[in-house]
Amino acid sequence: MEIVMSILAGTLFAAGVYLLLQKQLLKIVLGTALLSHGAHLFILTMGKLNRGAPPILEKGITEYTDPLPQALILTSIVISFGVTSFLLVLAYRTYQSNKTDMMDQLRGTDDE
Amino acid sequence: MMSNLVFLPIFIPLFVGALLVFFNKKHQLTMKISYLTVFLNLGVSIYLSYYVFKNNPLILETGGWKAPYGIILVADKLSVIMILSVNVIALAAVIFASSSVTSKMVQHYFYPLFLLLIAGVSGAFLTGDLFNLFVFFEVLLMASYGLIIIGGSKHQFRESVKYILLNLFSSILFVTTVAFLYSVTGTVNMAQLGERVAEVEQQGILTGIGILLFVVFATKGALFPLYFWLPKSYIVPSPVVSALFGALLTKVGVYSMLRVYTLIFSHKLELTHTFFIWVASITMLIGVIGALSTSNVKLIIAYNIMPAIGFMLLGIGTFSAESLAGTIYYLVHDMAIKAALFFLAGLLVWHAGTSNLNKMGGYIKTSPLLGWMFFIAALVLAGIPPFSGFIGKYLLLRGAFDEEHYFAAGIGLLSSLLILFSVIRIFIGAFWGEIKEKPKEKVRRSGLAASGLLIAISILLGVGAEWFYPYIQSAADSLIDPQIYIDFVLKE
Amino acid sequence: MLHYYILLPFLAALLIGLSAKKVNRIHTGWLVLPVPVVLFIIFCSKLPVLAKGKIVQSTADWIPSLDIQLSFYLDGLSMLFSLLITGIGSLVVLYSIFYLSRKEQLVHFYVYLLLFMGSMLGVVLSDNVFVLYTFWEFTSISSFLLIGFWFYRERSTYGALKSMLVTVFGGLSMLGALILLSITAETNSIRMMIANRSDILESDLFIPILILLLLGAFTKSAQFPFHSWLPDAMEAPTPVSAYLHSATMVKAGLYLVARFSLIFSGTDEFFIIVSGIGLITLCLGSFLASRQTDLKGILAYSTISQLGMIMAMLGFGTGVAILAAIFHIFNHATFKGSLFMIAGIVDHETGTRDIRRLGGLYTFMPISATLAFIGAFSMAGVPLPIFNGFLSKEMFFDSSLKLEQSAGLAGTFAEWIPIFAVLGSIFTFVYSMYLVFGTFLGKQKIDQLEKKPHEAPIGMLLSPIILIIFVIAVGLLPNLINEPLLAPAVAAVTGDLPHTHLAFWHGLNTPFYMSLIVIGVGALLAYTLKRWQPVYNKIPGKFSSDHWYQTMVNGLLRTSKSITGFYMTGSLRLYLSIILVFLVVSTSIFMYFTDGFTISFDDLAPVTWPEVLVGFVMAAAAIATIWMNQRIAAIIVIGVVGYGLSLLFVFFRAPDLALTQLIVETITVALFLLCFAHLPKLKKSDKSKSEKLIDLMIAVSTGALLTIVAIASHSSKSFDSIAKYFVDNSYKLGGGDNIVNVILVDFRGLDTLFEIAVLGLAALGIFAMIKYRDKGDMNQ
Repeated sequence: MEIVMSILAGTLFAAGVYLLLQKQLLKIVLGTALLSHGAHLFILTMGKLNRGAPPILEKGITEYTDPLPQALILTSIVISFGVTSFLLVLAYRTYQSNKTDMMDQLRGTDDE
Repeated sequence: MMSNLVFLPIFIPLFVGALLVFFNKKHQLTMKISYLTVFLNLGVSIYLSYYVFKNNPLILETGGWKAPYGIILVADKLSVIMILSVNVIALAAVIFASSSVTSKMVQHYFYPLFLLLIAGVSGAFLTGDLFNLFVFFEVLLMASYGLIIIGGSKHQFRESVKYILLNLFSSILFVTTVAFLYSVTGTVNMAQLGERVAEVEQQGILTGIGILLFVVFATKGALFPLYFWLPKSYIVPSPVVSALFGALLTKVGVYSMLRVYTLIFSHKLELTHTFFIWVASITMLIGVIGALSTSNVKLIIAYNIMPAIGFMLLGIGTFSAESLAGTIYYLVHDMAIKAALFFLAGLLVWHAGTSNLNKMGGYIKTSPLLGWMFFIAALVLAGIPPFSGFIGKYLLLRGAFDEEHYFAAGIGLLSSLLILFSVIRIFIGAFWGEIKEKPKEKVRRSGLAASGLLIAISILLGVGAEWFYPYIQSAADSLIDPQIYIDFVLKE
Repeated sequence: MLHYYILLPFLAALLIGLSAKKVNRIHTGWLVLPVPVVLFIIFCSKLPVLAKGKIVQSTADWIPSLDIQLSFYLDGLSMLFSLLITGIGSLVVLYSIFYLSRKEQLVHFYVYLLLFMGSMLGVVLSDNVFVLYTFWEFTSISSFLLIGFWFYRERSTYGALKSMLVTVFGGLSMLGALILLSITAETNSIRMMIANRSDILESDLFIPILILLLLGAFTKSAQFPFHSWLPDAMEAPTPVSAYLHSATMVKAGLYLVARFSLIFSGTDEFFIIVSGIGLITLCLGSFLASRQTDLKGILAYSTISQLGMIMAMLGFGTGVAILAAIFHIFNHATFKGSLFMIAGIVDHETGTRDIRRLGGLYTFMPISATLAFIGAFSMAGVPLPIFNGFLSKEMFFDSSLKLEQSAGLAGTFAEWIPIFAVLGSIFTFVYSMYLVFGTFLGKQKIDQLEKKPHEAPIGMLLSPIILIIFVIAVGLLPNLINEPLLAPAVAAVTGDLPHTHLAFWHGLNTPFYMSLIVIGVGALLAYTLKRWQPVYNKIPGKFSSDHWYQTMVNGLLRTSKSITGFYMTGSLRLYLSIILVFLVVSTSIFMYFTDGFTISFDDLAPVTWPEVLVGFVMAAAAIATIWMNQRIAAIIVIGVVGYGLSLLFVFFRAPDLALTQLIVETITVALFLLCFAHLPKLKKSDKSKSEKLIDLMIAVSTGALLTIVAIASHSSKSFDSIAKYFVDNSYKLGGGDNIVNVILVDFRGLDTLFEIAVLGLAALGIFAMIKYRDKGDMNQ
């Protein structure tokens, strides 16, 4: 299962990267969302999958899944959320001030 | 009890920064409080450094959890040197800000963002946990995202989109790589990572993971060919922000490399570190070539970030006690002089009303102090003795020659010449010659004071090298033998 | 004590910089003059000590941890240079008082001059190579500032930049050589290096060290092909030309070669490079001098050529050659210094230095003219016992003839060298005559001058008169300076004290015949100069060293622009592609070479279909985003991936994650919706097929790489995770059942604290961005 999930996460990454290389800002932002999903899936897979119970202590159970990756993912999810929100608003403001959302028109020159 | 001291350089700016969010309409008040905070923080970091060098490194086990289970903050020699430098830069920045930051910028939370940037950078220098390093990276990046758009101009938005997207990508890569590393070693504590990677002699996939991590840090630290996003995004914000970026952000990347490739991934030197030397050489050369390609004053300074980073990586690649000391010396020197140059370039651009060098000329008559400061800063940057740049460069070149990296050392010498050329061009073009256009405004005194402070420090670091070098060498000595750090952190 | 001598000019510079604006009743030069005079007297007082074969030395701490120490010593060679620096320095300061108007920025001028004086003393007195290097660079910097003294003139800034680039290039090469020397000989002291010379000579790096070191010397001493900065340096005020650019700084290269002679001299490489470059420079410089029309230009090329001649003799390395070299260093400083000063006088009194507009000035300024004639005849080597230049030139011929007795390459080339010597000397004779005859004799062209010429004030004449007195005195009684000054200097270079008696007449020997040839042919060429001068115009401009320099600098700037323009396109796609390609290529290569890839099917969770199905749908949705050109469809597919992920979290027993992901995904989708409403519609990609293919390749390889690394990482778990501790102690020590929560709030509470900080910062940034818009600042 770990291998399958690694491939899935890799696929999410690949799709995310492809979107990142596009011109339209919106697609790029969508790409970053896919990348975060891919990363989180990687983290989860790097603990072992499906071993033991959910990491909530219960009497009589000694085997739990690795709780650390879950904690790391939680932190990461919240951070990505913050960054994505910021990015969305920034994309909107960039479009407003530059009158375009195409990256190839957002290049700029030396003399500004 | 002493160990709580370690948290203060992070906590003070975090706390005050959070507080100041609510006073964003009170310009004078926030400015004064920031002054006080920076002074206080500088005092703390001086005491911390004193303590660490006098006694021994300090470890703070946050929440009382021992390493490797809890997150620890480690104030070892290298970390306190970095913390001290950060706070000196912060001091210069508030001085510069006092006249250059407008009420509007204050309203847009300049001071809270600034203080949180300092908190994030300090955290990155102090943490002993790789995932926590990622978190601090995010803190400082998020603060930098906030800072880069203050002013809200068209090109600021344009460049910050690229800046954020690239950093976002490298952050995602960072956290993924931490997960890979966790899978192999079962830990995220840096000391334990060092111990465990050493135990398996960096076998198998570990080197690959190490290179992934290198790409992450090299993107933040601006190495060839990963820095292309940097120059233009660093020049769009207000000069004080550019200076903070130029002085601090890339250095966090360098610090991380310095830590990770001495403590953790230092068992396949002939592969990884040879690779670093090549990357370093190309960065030195291509970076400075960038500085020669433009006549935008700010951009010239921004391009000069890269050769400096190349020099520092050369030291890591060479991996001898001497060259690592050179890297640390150069790191400290470069923080001071890069901030100073961004300040001076900012002052010059305000004075001239343009950033185009071809439209400037003769300003030595209208602002001699600015001109001479620029001149000295140019010499410092190029590594002319007896200023600070020379000591670091000397150690790095000596280290490289000693380890028979002749090509890299040669590139280092050549790039020094080109660095000098690129900045002396500004001096000649802007300050010599006939006045072409009347200056737009007088040079701000607090701006000169801030630059003067940093230049004075650069001179002191060079002329008074004997007062600093032994400390830096001892910090390097403890890097070259990672077991010291590991034993200290994981002592039972 | 030597420290204080070096410190004195720096201190004086500081004092004058700080105070002189207040003392404006007298010319600043008067305040400066005591410095070189006092130092000159002090150095003279040490002459008897040196004559006894002793040296003066002193050491002070600078950076003992790096073995960079302020250790100085004064031996014969240092003494000669110190006396030149302070002696000529005194005369130049005196001269400048009359030359420079008080309207000029005198404080700047004298501060630079004093900085130079101190640095130059530092160069010739340092024992520590890195201290020497420090002072060396400072001479370049002060020279830069002095050339750019009239900073508003374009020619000045051009010359200043050129001199800095060329000399700092040499300085950095020299730094490389010095570091290598220091590593090879395991010392930073010149004297210790000389003691360990066998280590250096046997080193594999001998040739690189030699070449790098000589690059430093050649650039500083304006040797071919680096000579072209010197003529451009003539934009500096004339006292500076007389001081830095003829008598002292340009001789720092000679000093360096002489100083290291005890290590390198006698090797074939040293001989061939130093003598070869020296002779080429001698001939080329003297030949080009007659082409110049600016008086100072003639003198600049003359200086180049004379430095070449001295360099050649240092390359010969024989006792007689070294003596001649040392003697000529002294003589050149006297006659060239005076000639520069006269050129300055002519400029000052007529308003031009263009030789085409001058002529017949003898009638108006007889004293200057007489001095100039003596200086020029001495330079030309006219065989009269009152010209010191003749004596050293004869010794030069003599030493070039005696090379036959040398071993190695010196012996092989011995026959050719006298020919070059004579050739160079012929043209030296020609330009010397051209200089003085063209200026002081011939037709008067007063109508072409800006002001009516007249003799200079006595104050201005004083310095050249003193120098000419030296020319004549040494010409008449060379042994006056032989024993006390020259012999100890030679001893410092060769290691042996010479016992040569200098004399005017050695009988009718070969050197004398050579001199006769020089004068005969030289006089003929000088007389017919006007007729063959057009030859110079036939030389294509692209052979000139200045042309090379310009081509290099412009080429550098142009290449920089095109290289940088190539990648600094501002295109995010390009930046990202490069990063990704670098990521994929470097990581793959390293994984290949370290056998990084492993795959193990042990210890895997069994594949169960619900998860796989969800995964499949997610993958399909993720890929589908690429073709989504409807905003709402894009949001749906992105939502499918996000909600799919939370479903996977449920399957993989991460309830907290699932919940958080669910909430975050919902908010994000809402945000997307909000944003989409304000942003333009999605467009179809207008990329070409090949662009799309490149994107695809980059994307797939990145995904594949990470998958491979992930599989390999998972397959090489070598240690127990620290997670066990959390399971064991979550309740006991952390007081919570939910392990993940305990980790977040307790074990790794710091992460959470700063995660909140990140959220807060994001909120702050968003708030600022939106508030900013609301204020109506948008329409800028």
